[in-house]
Amino acid sequence: MKKFSRAMAIILSLLLVVGGLTACGPKETDGGKVAGEITDWVTYQTIASEMETFNFQYSQNAKELDVLNNCFDGLTTNDPYGNLIPCIAERWETPDGGKTWTFYLRKGVPWVDYQGNKKGEVVAEDFLWGLEWVLNFAKNDAINTSMPNQLIKGAKEYYEYTKQLGEEAKNLDLTKFKEMVGIEAPDDYTLKFECIDKYPYFQTVTVYNCLYPISGEFLKEVGVDGYRAITYDKLWYNGPYTITHFVPGNEKVLTKNPLYWDKSAKLFNTVTIKMVESTDNAFQMFQNGELHAITLTEANLQTIYRDPNHKYHKNLVEARPSKYSYQIHMNFDKRLPDGKPDTNWNTAIANAAFRKSLYYGVDWTDYLRRVNAINPLKTTNLCFTSFNLVTTSDGRDYTDLVMDRIGMRPSLEKYVRYDAEKAAQLKQQAMEELTAKGVTFPVEIDYYIAGSNQTALDSATVMKNVLEGCLGTDYIKFNIKTYVSSFAQEVRNPQLQSFSISGWGADFGDPINFLGQIIIDDDNAYYATTTTNANNITDPEFKAVFKEFTRLVLEANAITDDLDKRYEAFADAEAYALENALTIPLYYNIPWQLTHMNAYSAIYCAYGGHAARYVNRETSTELYTTEQYEEFARAYEAGKGGK
Amino acid sequence: MTSSNLVDISQVDVSTLDTSQLFSFVEYRAEAAEEIGYSEYSYWRSVWQNFIKRRTAVFMSCVFILLFLFTFIAGPIGKYQYNEIKPDSTKVFIRPNSEYWFGTDNLGRDYWCQVWYATQTSIKLSILVAMGEIGLGVIIGLVWGYVRKLDRLLTEIYNILIHVPTIIYMTLVALMVGQSFWILVGTLILFGWMQPARHVRNLVLMYRDREYNLASRCLGTPMSRILTRNILPYLTSVIILRLALSIPGAIGYETTLSYLGLGLGVETPSLGILLRNARNYFLDFPYLLIFPAINVSLITVTFYLVGNAFADACDPRNHV
Amino acid sequence: MLKYTIKRLLQSFITVLIVVTIVFLLLRMLPTDYYFTEEQLMKLTREQLDDQLRAAGLLDPPLVQLGRYYRQLARLDLGTSRRIQNSVPVTQVIGSKIYISMRLGWISLAIAVVAGVAYGVVQAMNKGGFWDHVGTAYTVFVRAVPALVSYSLILILGSRMLNLPSMYSTRDVVRSSILPVVCLSLSSVAGYMVWTRRYMVDELNKDYIRLAKLKGMSTRSVLYKHVLKNAFVPLAQYLPQSVLLVTGGSLLVERFFSVPGLGSLLTDSILRYDLNLVQALVMMYTAMGVVGLFLGDVLMVALDPRILLTEKEGTR
Repeated sequence: MKKFSRAMAIILSLLLVVGGLTACGPKETDGGKVAGEITDWVTYQTIASEMETFNFQYSQNAKELDVLNNCFDGLTTNDPYGNLIPCIAERWETPDGGKTWTFYLRKGVPWVDYQGNKKGEVVAEDFLWGLEWVLNFAKNDAINTSMPNQLIKGAKEYYEYTKQLGEEAKNLDLTKFKEMVGIEAPDDYTLKFECIDKYPYFQTVTVYNCLYPISGEFLKEVGVDGYRAITYDKLWYNGPYTITHFVPGNEKVLTKNPLYWDKSAKLFNTVTIKMVESTDNAFQMFQNGELHAITLTEANLQTIYRDPNHKYHKNLVEARPSKYSYQIHMNFDKRLPDGKPDTNWNTAIANAAFRKSLYYGVDWTDYLRRVNAINPLKTTNLCFTSFNLVTTSDGRDYTDLVMDRIGMRPSLEKYVRYDAEKAAQLKQQAMEELTAKGVTFPVEIDYYIAGSNQTALDSATVMKNVLEGCLGTDYIKFNIKTYVSSFAQEVRNPQLQSFSISGWGADFGDPINFLGQIIIDDDNAYYATTTTNANNITDPEFKAVFKEFTRLVLEANAITDDLDKRYEAFADAEAYALENALTIPLYYNIPWQLTHMNAYSAIYCAYGGHAARYVNRETSTELYTTEQYEEFARAYEAGKGGK
Repeated sequence: MTSSNLVDISQVDVSTLDTSQLFSFVEYRAEAAEEIGYSEYSYWRSVWQNFIKRRTAVFMSCVFILLFLFTFIAGPIGKYQYNEIKPDSTKVFIRPNSEYWFGTDNLGRDYWCQVWYATQTSIKLSILVAMGEIGLGVIIGLVWGYVRKLDRLLTEIYNILIHVPTIIYMTLVALMVGQSFWILVGTLILFGWMQPARHVRNLVLMYRDREYNLASRCLGTPMSRILTRNILPYLTSVIILRLALSIPGAIGYETTLSYLGLGLGVETPSLGILLRNARNYFLDFPYLLIFPAINVSLITVTFYLVGNAFADACDPRNHV
Repeated sequence: MLKYTIKRLLQSFITVLIVVTIVFLLLRMLPTDYYFTEEQLMKLTREQLDDQLRAAGLLDPPLVQLGRYYRQLARLDLGTSRRIQNSVPVTQVIGSKIYISMRLGWISLAIAVVAGVAYGVVQAMNKGGFWDHVGTAYTVFVRAVPALVSYSLILILGSRMLNLPSMYSTRDVVRSSILPVVCLSLSSVAGYMVWTRRYMVDELNKDYIRLAKLKGMSTRSVLYKHVLKNAFVPLAQYLPQSVLLVTGGSLLVERFFSVPGLGSLLTDSILRYDLNLVQALVMMYTAMGVVGLFLGDVLMVALDPRILLTEKEGTR
């Protein structure tokens, strides 16, 4: 046996040496004891959210945008209070109330390669190249065209033109584009847009990646196919970070751009994003000191919260709500799997009393506990539009205006929208009216979740319990159904769901970005055309309600000279929608976490993706405590008043 | 030895004798006939006798049978019924106690009934799948190995089918047909027969051209009879072993499929699904993992040991 | 032999082609909406989606697409990835991952073969003894404990007690490979152990071994000169196939430790409908499978001159 083990030892050591030759030295993360700032941030993502492209214009998913927003600068950015602040554009103006816009660009913003070597400077024409790329079907497959097509003069026409050209359109330069599209660069540092109509919010659209620059020289260097399939080590960057290391499904490293124009910005030396199999593995890594922040799972949270002596007990902090506002979207033209209309549901949901009984008759507290097990009521969301989107001239949040009108404010005492008495009355009314119309009770509710998603199943199970518990099984019957891979393909297109829960995050700063999604007779209304099927409503009474709502929205949208008036009018429309239960707002996402980062120092905005930027973030080598976070929140609120 | 009344054949001139002197009819005696044709040996009895000598295997199979039977009574004797459990936010993650024998899960539902319900589902699924794929595999394997003309064709079909990744089939079936207990059983059988068939075919090739089979063929014995009477008995031990091993295999496979979302529908918990979920909690609440894991391990170990013992017992060479 | 080799390789080539064709057609049975992300379905109009599909040639009849694919293959062009890494040639996507899986797979295979065979020998020599039972217990344990559970345990033990990194890192390959390699070898060690033990025990009972012992050979030289060599032949047959197949990586282990290898690529690309990538991977795995079988046969002939390939052909 001796011979054997010796042979084995030799082979093993050989293998290790071979493995070692290709390895680099280990990288130590900080382990300092004195609380200081962290210079190299390490965070995580689950493997499923690995980037699919480095082409910023082509990326449309949070998984790419969260990274690439750190790599590129556009005309504008946001501050921690959600205000729009200058970035490459030093200032901007609209002489005619929103139809034409002029942006004056900063000089000397460098383009760099991934190692931080200067490659060029950002000029106004780079923005033209960027928009041309987006609108050119042969180059970008129509990705990200929706916003420019709706807003910028000639954009849609140019898109159609390139589509007709086919493959040839790949060779287009800016000549035809300049001729057709309402964007021009009179000199290197001035950029002008001409919109289709008056859009008083157009400047906020510039944080969206469809209006970002691409260096013309760079495009010439790599070619069209080269940029489509670009990799991190070939890109030209102009943002705070460059990507210096990328192993798909494993990790990526963002390194501070040494030539970044904004010298006052506080940046990490590196930001490492590790791709983990599950949040559970991430928690293991956090405990080993391999990560700087962790969002807690149910089980972790329960363990830490219940045990006052737990080492993390004092470090539990609530994340800030994400920009997404979640609500229930009912399907007004539900189909059965064989394609026939589900008359029972469709008749019921067209009935005002039935809808309102869903709106007023459910105490969602237990369901909210799925979002935030400790402070469920804190996640209460009473409006469709998310808060922090726009403020009136006297500093009031737009959602305040809406809540004034519906007469409700979120409370930490009880779930405010739930009114048992009113619900019982509505239920009785609905049952009487609907039985007369031949509706059979209980009304079946089909709710769809992904077959592999246990979290969704758990939430759906709780929802079933909540709905049936509050409304009674004589009234509704909640069926949990599953799809395999695509909600859109398997459920939404065949219109099978009774309702679905969806989160909407704004692309720009105006309530129309929310309310415009649920109006009827508009091809761009996302929810109305895909989810609620509101255009197919046959019940005349209900149709009239939608018509009225749509009229209110369009009327508000026409007010472009006085923003306060505009917001008031939108608030009227939104309150009308809520009181008629056209949509049912549900929650904001506020999970618990352990972190070394002060979230109140980060960019925070209800539109665009700049909240993901690792800029000006305050960190501490010691884990933040619950009290510290409460203090941050207070200081933040105070600072807000000052704005 | 005496030779007094024996005729010394060498000295007899055969040609002088008539046939009546050479052969005579033996008087028929029923008892004697019985004695000659009958032997004490019975194949299955020997198998059984051999098998019960393996104490651990016998013990484990008793444990397994009890476990399976218990899954049916565990529900009724528990304090909560599977189809009645409801989420309750005040009762999440309660450790096992006299009220909740296996504790509660992340939604505050009784875990006892879930574990037993899942165990039952998993055992049913795996036994059905194992029997199905072995049954189909043996039939195809026998024909494949025995009929020369089909060998080339079936080998090619096998080579092609075995290389198309199962997950492609599973995805297609899940999307086109749907997800349920019976669909999963069907699909797993439909794509699981190939390995056993190949194995059986290789064994058939070994036995096909033995002399007694050649003789049988010459005598015009139909193929089905040669296959079932002459060849199949040789394969029993291998088939049993495969059967025993594919039961834990099916459980494991179902776990992987659930992990990918291609397994059973969400409304049907299996041990695989419970294990998958428990992964997220087991560091903090180990009981959520331990109970289903014990059941999985019990099933696996039982079939491993019992299968081996039974396969040994089935081998006629061990019967003497 | 040369003629036989050419014939086998030609057959293998045809098999690969048929498999890829079948997979190609199966994939075309999927509804086209699956090619898009939910975000794209959300933000693009139906018309825009169709334009994209048309531009990618996905709306043509499957047979037309197949013809185009064959022409593409004839130019040795496997196409570009659509969802895993947009517009990047699939060969590049696979190429960047294969060597990671290969290294982990080969190290763990080497460990499994060496440790498994060595312990199998120990077991066979001590049949019925203490070390034999330990080995059996290990086998049963590995089979009984669900993989996800044992991986979790290894992860926790390794990272807490030994302070090993809990995920694979390209910047610390040696240390971060330890846990994945342990997980990978865990069950394959048991496999080699079981089979070695079985073949050894079978061999040890044969007459020529008794003869060798009787004529005075030492147990050790009997073991190495005769038994192990003969017992290793049936194992060796599967070795080339294993060597090739471990290159493909392991789905669970690689996911678990975030190893950026090939393991989960097939599943991921199927679940994301990255057609070109699926086809290329299937082609690769099929080729590995058939070539592995062939090499296994060759190796067996090399190790055991009594075996004749050309005769065996029909019976394999």
